[in-house]
Amino acid sequence: MDSPAISTEHLTRRFGDLVAVEDVNLRVAPGQFFGFLGPNGAGKSTTIKMLTGLLAPTAGRIQILGLDLVTNMVEVKRQIGVVPEGMALFGRLTGSEYLNFVGRMYGLDRGTAAKRTSELLDYMQLTDQPKTLVTDYSHGMKKKLALAAAVIHGPRVLFLDEPFEGVDAIAAGTLKTMLQRMIARGATVFLTSHVLEIVERLCSHVGIIHRGRLVAQGSLQELRAGVEAQAAALPVAAMVNGSVAELGEKLTLEQIFLRTVGGSRSGGQELSWLG
Amino acid sequence: MAGVGVSRAPSARQQMTAIAELRWRIFVNSLRTVRGRLELASRIFISLAFVGGGIGGAVGLGGAAWFLLSQGDAEWLSVLLWPVLLFWQLFPLMATAFTENVESSTLLRFPLSYRSYFLIRLAYGSLDPATTVASLWLLGIAVGIGFAQPKVFPWAALVLVTFALVNILLARMIFAWLERWLAERRTREIMGVLFFLFILSLQLIGPLIAAYEHKPKPETMVLGRELSTAQRPLPPGLAAGAIAAMAQGRPRSSLLSFVLLGLYGIAFFWLLNFRSRAEYYGENLTESDRRKTLPGEVSAVRPGWRVPGLSGPVTAVFEKELRYLSRSGPMLFTLIVPLFMLAVFRSSGKNEGLFSHAPELTFPLGAAYSLLLLTNLSYNNFGADGGGIQFLFASPVRFRQIMLGKNLAHSAIFALEVVVVWLGTCLLYRSPSVKVMLATLSGILFVVPIDLAAGNLFSIYSPSRIEAGVFGRQRASLTTVLASFAIRGVLFGAGAIMVWLSRHSNSWEEVLIFLLPVGFAFAAYALTLNHVDKIALDHRENLISQLGR
Repeated sequence: MDSPAISTEHLTRRFGDLVAVEDVNLRVAPGQFFGFLGPNGAGKSTTIKMLTGLLAPTAGRIQILGLDLVTNMVEVKRQIGVVPEGMALFGRLTGSEYLNFVGRMYGLDRGTAAKRTSELLDYMQLTDQPKTLVTDYSHGMKKKLALAAAVIHGPRVLFLDEPFEGVDAIAAGTLKTMLQRMIARGATVFLTSHVLEIVERLCSHVGIIHRGRLVAQGSLQELRAGVEAQAAALPVAAMVNGSVAELGEKLTLEQIFLRTVGGSRSGGQELSWLG
Repeated sequence: MAGVGVSRAPSARQQMTAIAELRWRIFVNSLRTVRGRLELASRIFISLAFVGGGIGGAVGLGGAAWFLLSQGDAEWLSVLLWPVLLFWQLFPLMATAFTENVESSTLLRFPLSYRSYFLIRLAYGSLDPATTVASLWLLGIAVGIGFAQPKVFPWAALVLVTFALVNILLARMIFAWLERWLAERRTREIMGVLFFLFILSLQLIGPLIAAYEHKPKPETMVLGRELSTAQRPLPPGLAAGAIAAMAQGRPRSSLLSFVLLGLYGIAFFWLLNFRSRAEYYGENLTESDRRKTLPGEVSAVRPGWRVPGLSGPVTAVFEKELRYLSRSGPMLFTLIVPLFMLAVFRSSGKNEGLFSHAPELTFPLGAAYSLLLLTNLSYNNFGADGGGIQFLFASPVRFRQIMLGKNLAHSAIFALEVVVVWLGTCLLYRSPSVKVMLATLSGILFVVPIDLAAGNLFSIYSPSRIEAGVFGRQRASLTTVLASFAIRGVLFGAGAIMVWLSRHSNSWEEVLIFLLPVGFAFAAYALTLNHVDKIALDHRENLISQLGR
């Protein structure tokens, strides 16, 4: 049996007294499209930073493709691609210079780096402004460039922190097609997103983190079954986000998410000055 | 629209106060970290040094002003005011490490009137050491005048305050326009050509001085008088003229000079206003080529550079660093400063100054100055990378390779600088002797590896995000700047001993003994480089948070 693409054991990260991530045991199989969800400040970005070597865990163990991240950091990084929060771009390079640079940092020879750069720019429709510096790109263009940079070396595992945030429908379509092609070829994608509809449509498996703890993990069907089982134990229909989720009705990911993290506004406090 | 409460239009004073409070909160919050406290200590130390220089200068200039007015030579006050003006305008350009150019354009998203924006830009932009020191000097001059002729003091104070305002406006205007010209490749190239024309024109000064050197004293006096006449319509001449005329009982002439000085202020105000207004209304100066891509035009992707002997990642970093630098107009401008300084010293007179008495020292001193100017690059290696630092940590490349690529790029720039300084020395003075050249090169080979090693450590321990494309925002942290000065003080001392000994050695072969410490320097560099991976990993959170914000 293949070792998991991503696995963590008792992964914990503290910032002083604050426990940002606590005892997280993740398991993502190769070829999975894994959505990592959680409310703001739940610990998603902290987890993804630890999984990609950008942040040291306080405790716990991380394995990527069966390799321990701490002892095989360079080898692991060679196998993964990352679009971190903030995208990690070099603003004063042009798009092609940036991709060329990234390709060579991942060990591609000059010719291959240039060829893949050209193909990626073409695929991402970034060829019409060859002399524009990255700093002058629109947000969507930056996202596309960051994703192109993350895949230029053909990674086996791809980590994406909010890849669809601030991206228009056309760019989002391009990104989704590319990610699905990667999955079809056996790569693993681990993404965080607040856009639950996209996660529901793309991801085969989902993990939900809340207040630093992994509160749910599994395929969408498994999560749905879990929530429905809980709901069935309740005496009345459960209130979810203002609507009634009747038993027997298929729950959306948004409903599953809200049920899992217990999110709803009481609406007790009004901002009267807003009109 | 009932019920929606839009706040009243804020007043300029409200906004200025809010910004002052913001800066104060930023300052207080910065003290939570050790780095912030160190920065405060450095700032206090530097401020004391500047205040010391300011007070010392003020006493000297005050004494000189008192003497001139007591002797009835008030018109010679311009001799005191010219250095003040030159310091005020040139120091911020020459010593960007101590200059903080506030990013006022970030305020534009708030409901800020143009007037408030302009005032904020002017007020906060003027809070720099040059303004403090030069203001103290002017205060000294005013006090000196007051002691010599108390009746003239109120008028002199008014004139000097106006002179100070003219200087503030001029300094802000120069910054604003330099940023404008350096922001785009085309205007930067034009500036480059103008600069070299200026350098070439300085070649004429030598023959000119030589022509007057052998002439009888009266003719030299005539030249002095002509220069004195030529400077009268300029701000220092006008300020001096206004005070002198009042001291000599010619109020109408004094008033005329004062009005003309005020007109300069208005002209500088107008030019600054012109630029600020363009920024206020959303001008975006970028490095990008504004040329539209023609239909069917294919963007050919060129392979990256190939540097023999270097691995792909090291070459990639090397290329990236040089591309970054080539797109930072202000940094490029800083790099031509050594040549500018040589030219200025050359134009100050053939028989005066250190370089005239010991021209062979021009090359080593020029090289040392060039190294000083690299502080912002080599002691804050990742400053310009910003959020890109995350990629460097995410990539499968060891930090020692990244550092090596950066160090090689900075060394290449420094080597180019040294060649330029050598050419400048040969052109403007005379070519240095073989002994001095060898000693200087040995000194460089000794100093640079240790300096780079120290710079690598400071880049990790005390990173500071910099905006390479904007003037005055290429600063490393003040702590780093001070530490780099201390380290270089020691290193340059050793280098100076080498050069001094070489001047007194009998043959150039003896100088080769200086190559011995070079081995030590390279060993120290290699040792640091080997440890840089662990140090960088240990400090990755701080690096990412400081640079990526």
